[in-house]
Amino acid sequence: MPHSNRHEELVSLQVLSLLGPEEAGELDRHLEAGCRVCEDLSVELKQSAAALAASVPARRAPPRVREKILASLGPARPLERPAQAKPRSLLWVAAAAVLLAALLFDDWRLRREREDLSGRAADLASRIEKKDAELARRDLRARVLESEDVRLLFLGGKDPQPRARAKVFWSEKAKRGFVVAANLEPLPAGRQYQLWVFDKGKPVDAGVFDADEAGRALFESKDLSAIAAAENFAVTVEPQGGVPQPTGPIVLIGVS
Amino acid sequence: MPTSSSDIDRALVARIERRDADALASLYDRHGSRLNGLAYRILGDTGEAEEVIQEVFLYVWKAAATFDGLRGSVLAWLIVATRSRSIDRLRARRGSFRASLDQAPEAVSPEDLEADSAGREWESICRSAIKELPDDQRRALELAYFEGLTHQEIAQKTETPLGTVKTRIRLGLMKLRERIRPYLHRESDAS
Repeated sequence: MPHSNRHEELVSLQVLSLLGPEEAGELDRHLEAGCRVCEDLSVELKQSAAALAASVPARRAPPRVREKILASLGPARPLERPAQAKPRSLLWVAAAAVLLAALLFDDWRLRREREDLSGRAADLASRIEKKDAELARRDLRARVLESEDVRLLFLGGKDPQPRARAKVFWSEKAKRGFVVAANLEPLPAGRQYQLWVFDKGKPVDAGVFDADEAGRALFESKDLSAIAAAENFAVTVEPQGGVPQPTGPIVLIGVS
Repeated sequence: MPTSSSDIDRALVARIERRDADALASLYDRHGSRLNGLAYRILGDTGEAEEVIQEVFLYVWKAAATFDGLRGSVLAWLIVATRSRSIDRLRARRGSFRASLDQAPEAVSPEDLEADSAGREWESICRSAIKELPDDQRRALELAYFEGLTHQEIAQKTETPLGTVKTRIRLGLMKLRERIRPYLHRESDAS
């Protein structure tokens, strides 16, 4: 729309903040169409309006107001310039930075998920391995208990552990057995319980085991197929890992 | 290095944008009195006028980055900020108090006039330019500028058609522009 007195009137009203919404919209559209006359007029009429202010006598601005202003300056952050005033290149840089940050975050998230899945897979594999071993032991116990030749022997405590008790389930065919013990004392570091099988009157190493905090133990013997027959059983306290021949005190021995 | 008064103002605003409190104090020293006079002219109350200039300078502190030198001088920016806040207060209390154009301005003591000689000369030019306006145009401008009346309110108050009020405002501003245009460069230096 070509420049006219109407537009000068709108600019005049705008300078004095007198435009209503419809008139403001009309002027905005005219300015957006690129009317340089009205743009320049707006600047000049603002100066003209400022002349009204300049006609007013000055009044001393009190120093105490100045001090109040300076005292109230907080760590306020400066207002940002309008977004459209920012160079387009900066916007692209900002957008690229945001995109890069999003990609890096996504990459980090995927790596973490992969590590997490790997950890969980390893954990599952370990648990499966343990379960398999446990299942194998249970299977062995079942075979020992189900074997027709299984024997049940009772072991009684001796000094220094007179309250200790144990049962030994033994299969002569399998030449293997397992021990269920109770009331065992906790051992000092570097010490373990060791089971002995007496074959022809001589002790044979049947393996080492530990008791839990409640003094209980469930232990499966070594493969003892080399022996002729299990005549008796005993448990001693020995160095960690066991010894070829008993050296420590006997805490459990067969009573029947 | 700034060479004119207007350049000095722009340099101060740039320093304020960088959080230089001394620059804000300098700007207050340069224009506080003029702004205080304008706020008092609109509000007619010393305490309220001082509150307004306090608000204006705090606004400058926060919004220095938004100042656009292409849209006018620093002084014009300060005047617009002072007037708009004063008018807001005036409109808020309208009904209980209304500043009157016929109200005699409070006597101003010599020490209240802090403007330098160039500033006083500019004030004299503006007063003369306003005085030369036809009465109906000057009254329409003053009712709008100092009392914050809308053009409809001016039409009612002066019992004049709305279109005539708009025309008076437009013609009044255009004539002011013609009167002060030869001095605008000097005003920039004096501000």
